[in-house]
Amino acid sequence: MIWPGRTIWDTRVQSVCGIISARGEKEPELSGSASFAQFSLSPLRVIINPNRTYPIEPAIQQAGRFAINVLPASERKLMIKLMKVRRRQPGKANVLGLRLSEDEHRIPFLEQALRTVFCEVERTIEAGDRKLYVARVLESRINSGISNERPLLFEEVTSGESSFFALRQTARQILIRSGALDLIKKLRYRRRPPPAPNIARTTYEQAGATEEELATILKYGALDSSRRLSPPPPPAILRKELGICVVGTGWGYLHCRYLRQASPKVRLFVCGRNPEKTAHLAHAVGAEAYFIGLEQAVDDPRVQALTLALPHDLHRQAVELATAAGKHALVEKPIATTLADADAMIWAAKRAGTILMVAEDMHFRPAVREASQRIERGDIGEPLYLLAHAGGIRRPSGWAAEKARMGGGVLIDIGVHYIRGLRLLLGEPDSVLATRAMQINTRMSEEDSVQLLFSSRAGWEAHMLLSWVSQRGHLPDIVIAGEKGTLHLWPGVHYFDYYPVAPVLTTRIVSQLRPYWLQEKLLRPTLQRIRIKLRDRDVTGYLREMQEFLAAVAEQREPVTPAADGRRDLEIVLAGYEALASSRQTEIRALD
Amino acid sequence: MESAVGLLLVEAGPRSNAMTISCFSEVAHHPTTLWVSVAKTSYSHELIKETGRFSLAVLSLNQKIAAISCGTVSGRQQDKCASLDLYSSPAGFLFLRGALASTGCRVRQTIDIDDQTLFIADIVETDLDTRNAHLRHLLLSDFRDL
Repeated sequence: MIWPGRTIWDTRVQSVCGIISARGEKEPELSGSASFAQFSLSPLRVIINPNRTYPIEPAIQQAGRFAINVLPASERKLMIKLMKVRRRQPGKANVLGLRLSEDEHRIPFLEQALRTVFCEVERTIEAGDRKLYVARVLESRINSGISNERPLLFEEVTSGESSFFALRQTARQILIRSGALDLIKKLRYRRRPPPAPNIARTTYEQAGATEEELATILKYGALDSSRRLSPPPPPAILRKELGICVVGTGWGYLHCRYLRQASPKVRLFVCGRNPEKTAHLAHAVGAEAYFIGLEQAVDDPRVQALTLALPHDLHRQAVELATAAGKHALVEKPIATTLADADAMIWAAKRAGTILMVAEDMHFRPAVREASQRIERGDIGEPLYLLAHAGGIRRPSGWAAEKARMGGGVLIDIGVHYIRGLRLLLGEPDSVLATRAMQINTRMSEEDSVQLLFSSRAGWEAHMLLSWVSQRGHLPDIVIAGEKGTLHLWPGVHYFDYYPVAPVLTTRIVSQLRPYWLQEKLLRPTLQRIRIKLRDRDVTGYLREMQEFLAAVAEQREPVTPAADGRRDLEIVLAGYEALASSRQTEIRALD
Repeated sequence: MESAVGLLLVEAGPRSNAMTISCFSEVAHHPTTLWVSVAKTSYSHELIKETGRFSLAVLSLNQKIAAISCGTVSGRQQDKCASLDLYSSPAGFLFLRGALASTGCRVRQTIDIDDQTLFIADIVETDLDTRNAHLRHLLLSDFRDL
């Protein structure tokens, strides 16, 4: 039977699949394509039509050269993954685990391609939402190892990541050959006649863009380079004996607990000011010995490194003392209460050649790592909003309630974690606005609640609500909302939730149910929920944070999150305080 | 280079022609356009210049013979359309039965590059033939044994 086509994809001009590659500003750019073809044989020329909203287009324009990597049919999954990767994602090759080569043509290319066509741009033609590049072929290189393989075709990748691809293909073939597909279509159209085909309008509605729309999309840049940090993989377990002294008998207890779990090779010592408390902690955690006063600890040759769980205003003094004695240090967050102190600590460690790391568990939280990978892979499309809601009922007392010692209130204490989370998940914010409700805990000299609105020139925003005086209830502590899905990260659990925008099977089934009252009753948001289990049992990241510090000390290397990351967190916190004091949107210094 | 094979169909008054082509692809989604590259010396070039319209039939794997017959002789010497199972679309384009899809196009822009002309054309209408929908595209690499 003959049916009218409704979109450009019905013309079937998209055929052979390949990856267009070009040198980008910082790293190679890639883009999947099924609309390249040769233009002439003598001289051999090709035409490609990159989407103007994709970073490959400015990359080709700047480099003047590109390669067409024709994919073999066996690379179906790679093409599907590439088509799914977030449009503005930098380093697509890394996200896909691809290794690109480069030779005398100075064009990055894929070694597993069926054929690689190296091209030099001769002319460009403005053509609406795409740009045509007419290019001369410098070399067409066939991969002799797989030259008998058929190229991958566009129709083989449009079904997405179906795990039953072969089965679906067979079923489709049976439906087509038996005429059942025509019959189904005919019945459906008889029941609900479709509108008259309008290829231009339908294609535009599904994937086209006017000049005004292109300008809106490109306002935030073709590439989102705002993210500088990436969550690391879990660190290696310590295999060599190390003497670690925990300084501080309050939060220090947790340090002891995680150090014990981190490795049996840790020789544990504790240090405090109060002899009774210190002896009690040493006994409780089975420490080898304890010290009264930091001077004793740093002088002991059995101690190679210290973990500092002290009031914030003492961080600098403690780090300077430790580094002067050649000891490595893990300091609790925030790194300090002022940037001057943070700089002095970083400088002291650098001068002494010792390791300084800030204890930031968010950097090692498995849910953050998994969510970050999902964002890179394109599961939520362009991330738009991050919502962080953290805190709980807490009544700080003693030094934690004094500005001079604590550096602030809930923002510097809890907000600093979520600022790191924001940096890992979305990127570096460019400005911040802060406001707050009335003070409830009048024993605290600083804020007991605050809300912040971070903005990025890359186009995303983040809202943080931090409070020690209201109950959070059963809510995720981080929500990341994107154009194609939303992620819910829950504190202290072994899973996180993914809500794709595209309806999942159960939602599709329920949405077809009649009568409507039954559909309304069953159609709940949780139908769309995909609960993803975390394999790493250390849900908070405390243990991995400790293991990374030990590994860095044992291997005498910089930790995956150096102290400069902690300094940057503090810089953003302080910008938040400035915004709170001025009631104005405050610029945050851009990273170089 | 690996690419799909199609037939470029042109009708200009009493004259018509079918030419095997592999130099074609999509241009943009807005405006919804595609391109074909045609040698200036070809008969099809003359006809497209005259009418400003053409059709592109994307061939399926079992249309190898049609591709060979329309790719080895000039339309000036032989009426190649006579041997094809063609029909007229609602907008008056020549469409090929059994092709994966036949698309009627109206030329929007012509660009001369050496001895070729790049025709950028608006997609006016498309027909899909479900008889061959289970087959894949006919590819240039399918002619390797010739």
